[in-house]
Amino acid sequence: MTDDDYETRGIRRLLRELGGFSKNALGNFFSLEFLALLLPLLLLWEFLPRAGLIPESLLPPLSTVAATFWDMLLRRSLVLHILYSLGRFFIAFGLAVALAVPIGMLMGWNQKVRAFILPLWQLLAPIPPPAWVPMTIIIFGIGSSMHIFLMSIGIFYPVLFNTYQGIKDTDPRYLASARVFGASEFTLLRKVYFWHAFGSIIMSLKTGVAMGLVMLVIGEAYGGRMGIGFLLGQAKDYFLIPEMMVCMMVTGFIGWFLIEILKYVELKLAIWKVGR
Amino acid sequence: MIEARSISKFFSLVNEKGLAEGLTAVLNVSLTIPDGRIVSLLGPSGCGKSTFLEILAGLQAPTDGEIRIDGRLVLEPLPSTRKEMEEYKRRYRFISPLANGVFTDRPKHDIAMIFQDYAVFPWMTALQNVVFVLRLRSAGKRRSDRPSRAEMEEKAGFYLSKVGLAGAENKYPAQLSGGMRQRLALARALSVEPKIILMDEPFAAVDALQRERLQDDLLYLWEEAKGNASPIIIVMVSHDVPEAVYLSDEVVIFSPGPGGTVRNRIPVDVPRPRARTDPEIVAIQERIFAILQYDINQESMYTI
Repeated sequence: MTDDDYETRGIRRLLRELGGFSKNALGNFFSLEFLALLLPLLLLWEFLPRAGLIPESLLPPLSTVAATFWDMLLRRSLVLHILYSLGRFFIAFGLAVALAVPIGMLMGWNQKVRAFILPLWQLLAPIPPPAWVPMTIIIFGIGSSMHIFLMSIGIFYPVLFNTYQGIKDTDPRYLASARVFGASEFTLLRKVYFWHAFGSIIMSLKTGVAMGLVMLVIGEAYGGRMGIGFLLGQAKDYFLIPEMMVCMMVTGFIGWFLIEILKYVELKLAIWKVGR
Repeated sequence: MIEARSISKFFSLVNEKGLAEGLTAVLNVSLTIPDGRIVSLLGPSGCGKSTFLEILAGLQAPTDGEIRIDGRLVLEPLPSTRKEMEEYKRRYRFISPLANGVFTDRPKHDIAMIFQDYAVFPWMTALQNVVFVLRLRSAGKRRSDRPSRAEMEEKAGFYLSKVGLAGAENKYPAQLSGGMRQRLALARALSVEPKIILMDEPFAAVDALQRERLQDDLLYLWEEAKGNASPIIIVMVSHDVPEAVYLSDEVVIFSPGPGGTVRNRIPVDVPRPRARTDPEIVAIQERIFAILQYDINQESMYTI
């Protein structure tokens, strides 16, 4: 790493980071190996329904889906729906992470805290998040708070348990070496436990994103007026297969994009792992 | 001055039948180390010398006995009666007895320790590693006495260059070689200018040439501290007889474990600087080898 890496500031720095991000995120897609698989798949998708090998009403060809996407973008305010979903998703994600990471860290750090609260999560976590839907609707009614709560439930447990496990597995040598020099428990948590568990925390956030999206679709399909899951539910009610496929692909794209962001954050913050 | 008074350490473990079993790691070790001495603890593997070193550092509580550093108790011994045990457990309910405090960084004693596998933090650069411990050490001082960040970085850089790591300040431990990582651990220990340095087989993982160089570096820094009227006690656990004799003022030999206890204390009264091939040094080495050899041959005598 050269010195000007540190000195670049402002818009140039931003552009450089964006470049790095897109290189990391899109790199996989533009490899020859993957294109060799993707292009035939896309061609099959286009031509199998057109040739009548698969009924077009069940699997609309790629071009139809693309046209529908464009149509939804222009006339059904798809962007607004996506923004709505994303907004709720980020609130839920923030809430869940802000609770799960500290609680997980405390549980991993101290046996007594663990003895008090771990059994609670062990009882609650096996309840599949979709099973919360009816209760949530009764308590919160249909609206943003219900969606946010459902998504938080989905994100909370994977983040909590992975963080807890990562913290608990911290190498005692590192703790000992910090303690000899006088580190307090809080310093240990901030400077030793956290970084030692960093990999598993990021991993847990990725699982959290996936679970959150599951709950996003489920929650919005159950009620609401906005959001990508709502569009999907509507498409289901009117049996509009191209619309369904657009919603599926948009949700998939959101998940992929968020996970790529997390990967990039990990790459940037865990530089020490790169040299290995 | 370090005073260890009849230190014993028992562990309970579970044997292959699933029953609890006692294990004596250290048995009744008493040792007094005056200021400015280098002492080596030597003995076969599993004789409890590393455990003893950790007890000295306050990283494990002794089952019996007490360690005092300059008259101050390092860790209170584990309770011996059931009632005391309950009391002890209640007191350390939320926080381990080893902890320095919940929010304030405060070293209990002026000790630095170098671990066998370095234990430098892989997520910090060499400089950050040293600055981290410097900050921990200065946290106990009054606000006006605390050095600024720039001062700490300067000091860290100074000690890094002292052990020959100038230019590697911004590298992560994973990018350093084994010997360099060892020197980083050494710089980290020296930078806090401690009165006591404890080392657990510090040079075990570096090659022979590198090891001799590190030993000489260590002696040089130790002499320098002595010259500045701030003598350092170095307590070192070692497997390596020539290393122990060459470096130390006194070699403490542990009997084979389990239940290591002090078997011999052999003073090395050879003035420094010493030569590795000095006949006196070699004679002491051979004596120690003979003792260890005897222990190996008579091993059955030690097992009950």
